[in-house]
Amino acid sequence: MYLLDALSTPAQYLPIAIQFAFGVLFVAGMIAISHFLGPKRNTSDKLDTFESGIEQIGNARQPMAIKYFLVAILFVLFDVEVIFFYPYALNFKSLGWEGFAAVCMFVTFFFAGFFYIYKKGALKWED
Amino acid sequence: MNLIIISALSGVVMMFSGLFVKNNRTISYIATALIIFLSLATMCELGAKSWFNIPQAEAMLRTSVYGKLIGVILTIATTFYFVLSGKDIERVGKHVADYYALMFFVLAGAGILLSFQNLLMLFLGVEILTIPLFILTGAQKQNLKSNEASLKYFLMGAFSTGIMLMGIVLIYGAMGSFDLSVIGKKAQFATPIHGANLMGLLLLLASMAFKVSAAPFHFWTPDVYDGAPTVFTSFMATIVKVAAVVAFIRLFEGSMEPFHTSKWQILVSILIACTLLVGNITAVFQQSVKRMLAYSSISQAGYMLFAVFAFNAFGKEGITIYGLSYSLATIGIFSVLSKMQDITFDGFNGLARQYPGIAFALTVFVLSLAGIPLTGGFLGKFYMISAGAASNSSYTWLFILAILCAAVSVYYYFRIIQAMYFKERVSDTPVFEVPVSKAFPILLIVVAALIILIGINPQILLQYLYF
Amino acid sequence: MSNLSQLAWLVPIFPLIGFLINGLGRNYLSKTLVGIIGSGALLLSFITSVLIFNKVSAGELLIGEAGVYFDFIKFGSFNIPFAFQIDQLTSIFLLVITGVGFLIHVYSTSYMHEETKAHFARYFAYLNLFVFSMLLLVMGANYVIMFIGWEGVGLCSYLLIGYWFKNNDYTNAAKKAFVMNRIGDLGFLIAIFYLIQHFGTTTYIDIFSQAKTEGSSSLITIITLCLFVGAMGKSAQLPLYTWLPDAMAGPTPVSALIHAATMVTAGIYMIARSNVLYALAPSTMSLVAIVGLLTAVFAASIALKQNDIKKVLAYSTVSQLGYMFLGLGVGAFTGAVFHVMTHAFFKALLFLGAGSVIHAMHHQQDMRHYGGLKKYMPVTNITMLIGCLAIAGIPPFSGFFSKDEILIAAYAANPIYYVIGLFGALMTAFYMFRMYTMTFLGGFRGDHHHLPHESPKPMTFALVVLAILAAVAGFIGLPELFTHNPEGHKLANYLAPVFKDGEALLAKHAHPDHTTEWILLAVSVGLIVAVILWAVKTYKVYKLENDAEPQGFSKILANKWYVDEIYDAVIIKPILAIGDFFGKVIETKGIDKAVNGVGKAINFGSRKFRYLQSGNVGNYILIMIVAIIILVRILFYLPMS
Repeated sequence: MYLLDALSTPAQYLPIAIQFAFGVLFVAGMIAISHFLGPKRNTSDKLDTFESGIEQIGNARQPMAIKYFLVAILFVLFDVEVIFFYPYALNFKSLGWEGFAAVCMFVTFFFAGFFYIYKKGALKWED
Repeated sequence: MNLIIISALSGVVMMFSGLFVKNNRTISYIATALIIFLSLATMCELGAKSWFNIPQAEAMLRTSVYGKLIGVILTIATTFYFVLSGKDIERVGKHVADYYALMFFVLAGAGILLSFQNLLMLFLGVEILTIPLFILTGAQKQNLKSNEASLKYFLMGAFSTGIMLMGIVLIYGAMGSFDLSVIGKKAQFATPIHGANLMGLLLLLASMAFKVSAAPFHFWTPDVYDGAPTVFTSFMATIVKVAAVVAFIRLFEGSMEPFHTSKWQILVSILIACTLLVGNITAVFQQSVKRMLAYSSISQAGYMLFAVFAFNAFGKEGITIYGLSYSLATIGIFSVLSKMQDITFDGFNGLARQYPGIAFALTVFVLSLAGIPLTGGFLGKFYMISAGAASNSSYTWLFILAILCAAVSVYYYFRIIQAMYFKERVSDTPVFEVPVSKAFPILLIVVAALIILIGINPQILLQYLYF
Repeated sequence: MSNLSQLAWLVPIFPLIGFLINGLGRNYLSKTLVGIIGSGALLLSFITSVLIFNKVSAGELLIGEAGVYFDFIKFGSFNIPFAFQIDQLTSIFLLVITGVGFLIHVYSTSYMHEETKAHFARYFAYLNLFVFSMLLLVMGANYVIMFIGWEGVGLCSYLLIGYWFKNNDYTNAAKKAFVMNRIGDLGFLIAIFYLIQHFGTTTYIDIFSQAKTEGSSSLITIITLCLFVGAMGKSAQLPLYTWLPDAMAGPTPVSALIHAATMVTAGIYMIARSNVLYALAPSTMSLVAIVGLLTAVFAASIALKQNDIKKVLAYSTVSQLGYMFLGLGVGAFTGAVFHVMTHAFFKALLFLGAGSVIHAMHHQQDMRHYGGLKKYMPVTNITMLIGCLAIAGIPPFSGFFSKDEILIAAYAANPIYYVIGLFGALMTAFYMFRMYTMTFLGGFRGDHHHLPHESPKPMTFALVVLAILAAVAGFIGLPELFTHNPEGHKLANYLAPVFKDGEALLAKHAHPDHTTEWILLAVSVGLIVAVILWAVKTYKVYKLENDAEPQGFSKILANKWYVDEIYDAVIIKPILAIGDFFGKVIETKGIDKAVNGVGKAINFGSRKFRYLQSGNVGNYILIMIVAIIILVRILFYLPMS
């Protein structure tokens, strides 16, 4: 019996509805509470749009260096790949040498990619 | 398995060759060598055993004779594409090696689509297939049209991927599995049919229709094909499209049970009718050959969908013939088109006088696309329509519509022939941007001969289906 | 592969090679070379045919699987192989086609010498292609191969009639021949379709053995009728004969080869080949006999009053073909083939003789301007005389034996056939000797400054050889009456295996006893001799000045029974009127409007559809969503059985 099969009548969705309601109420409540309780000191800096730490000057549609985003994306990419090491670490012994070989292959590809972006100059900060 | 692994590795090799090889021609040669090796590898797989034996992957990827044959066809078509259009790929931009690498990745995605056994793999395959295409579409960084097309493609592709994921989720929810055979088996005994399953399949249908650009999910096609660099349009309209159609067949062959055949055929017949009408009627009015070919590729997809309509042996055989002859013909025309100054019909004026060999080959391609007998295109259309008739003969209106649309298509295809043979060249500008090599017409004629060979003796291709 | 099958393909391949060399090299080859290649190809074919004939008479045949060279058309279980069948009938036709063809090629080298190099080569290329097609026609082991040859000879006939394509009348004649033949070909095609549908094969032996076991049926009758329609077109029978006289526009050797000796006998070959089918359809047989008889008499009557020497021969050909069909119709298959053979000799001879005269008279074809040529052209005179005697049926020339075999068989079937047939034979004798007398006897009526002269050697060579053949060919078919030996008819013995099935199925007519036969022969020969004397006497004193405008019945004859005019009034004019109506009213008002309307609608739709392609991604996605909703609606709410 799978999860949805067991929950296929409307009445059985009640816990979810409750959770939804709880979630909405919790968020709304927290915002409301902080609104009422928190101190309000409005400075010009605070009223500015948040722009990832870059000072907001003039038209937002002017071209800007893509390096930041590139590095961010690459970080996410490699970060996600590194996550695969966690399950491997847990099963290190049971997977044995075969598992080790597979992970080595994985790491090779990993480094190949790294080498590629390095050679392509994606990590070069200065022009 | 050969196709997936070797094409992925070839992609990596191409990436690195871009770092170390500076000469574009050399890069093209490397790519051509790799694709020839890849075709040989797929042929070996068709003939004997796979070089890679990974039993653990059986639940994810399961190759069939049919998928292997289509793999051979795709790689052969790509080989011809590289050989005919290599120089045009080099002219697109600076990152030639990367373009080739991306195309190898597309082939890897196609390989997954030809053998997926699991909905996750379908999703992965579709993504591996399409994401490189977004980049290829935008390869001309300085060209606004190319950028716009790329962005549009990305947006709409993301939308259709969302629909596909939604479908997969619903099916998983209803059936509790991603495995196609499990889903198919369960659906046979499920009464009443689970609504979520039906809805999921419908969403999958819609998203696959998007991938093969069947109307009314085709809107991205003309804009993207028109905006993309002409060489890459050729690749997208042929190899990618055939792979998508085969994935379409593979996906629904075993799992569309819950629809009941009759209901399924109503849905698909609507798609086919819309696709044929929109593709053909809109193509009539185009002035640009490139855009005309974009619409015609929509209508050609309409014919290929007959295999999805029918799910019988005829349909599969038909796709084999159709896929190869359509791909070769379109690649041939695009390879000429991407060298031309003026890509409207007027650009073809008087071509026959200056380049009789090229004009002859183009004529064969156009005849094949229009479905004139003795060419592979005719047999393809014939097979597709007879597949439909064999599975359900009560759809007479659909078959008549298909034949009428083929007649309409003669009009816009033959405008190329008319321009080449019966119109005089007015302007003094040369036909081609770059001088064509002496070998080019010969290669084109070889391709044309292949198309005619398929048209005369399809057995050379079909025999492999029944090894 | 038997020995014979290795030999068989050589026969058609030589003319094909000749065609290719002459056709492709027409701008480069000298005339001498072209002539040698063209005639040489035929000579080689002829030699091969003789070898084949020897093998066949020794009992070796090429039938069934042995003759299959490759699969020609194959789908599913249906298979049309490219196969040859060599049996007695084919071997006879091979000899006639390549033998007479060779002589005519030799003759042509000199007759066509005035042409320019390229046209000369074109002529020989066509001629070789014709022979190739004709060989295919008689050698094929199934109806489809026969049909390929059938169409091939039709094409070559068209090309050669219109050989002098700068003359508009000639090209019109070519078109007429082509169209008339097409009408017949349609019949043939329909017959093939019926055969395929019913028997599932087109191979002769399979069809015949199957048909024999099934017995007669209305389907067989329909098939034989359709085949006969094809034969009527190709062999110029009523009512499709009108193209043949017009076909005389082609060069005279062409008329000799195509429109007398070979192509026009294709219809006879086809029916003789299908004798089993015809024997199963008695009603078709009587139709064949009646059509043949009518054509024989009708064409002979027209020939009486023609002044163009080639037209006389053309109508005579139509008439003789009629006799052959009469023979087929009464079941005398051997007689018909015998007559095909003798006719090939004497009619080719007559045409070539006429060509020789025309050549000598500077392309004057009107007999009224001839006369007394005996003095100037001795060889032509003698050979033509032999030809005329042969066609008139004077013993011991070949025509006597073959024609009388048919007439006796007709008598056996129905004495009325005999009487009408004899009447036609008398007319034949009359018009032939009218022609002979007007041409060779009396005084010369032409231009005295350009006296005619004997033709060059290659032409007289062909004439002499054909004359010998026309004189003696009859002896291979001596009737039992003379030999008192049932085995005496050599040709009949030779052909017996081919026709035994058909003849076994036919109801036997009692063969007239010897006394009757003697009487019939004596009557016919006597009458013919009388008619000849009358004709010679009448036209020996012919003077151009005395020639009055024909009156009454002879006017009708001179105008060929007004058949062309009748066709014009009954068929062509109404068709043109209908065409006019369709063209002016239905076409412009109805179809054009409809077609243009569809075109406009598509154009309009195209423009509207284009607006959908707005370039706005939001719109696109909206449409996709709507489409999905519609699909959902169909899927969930459409009532389905």
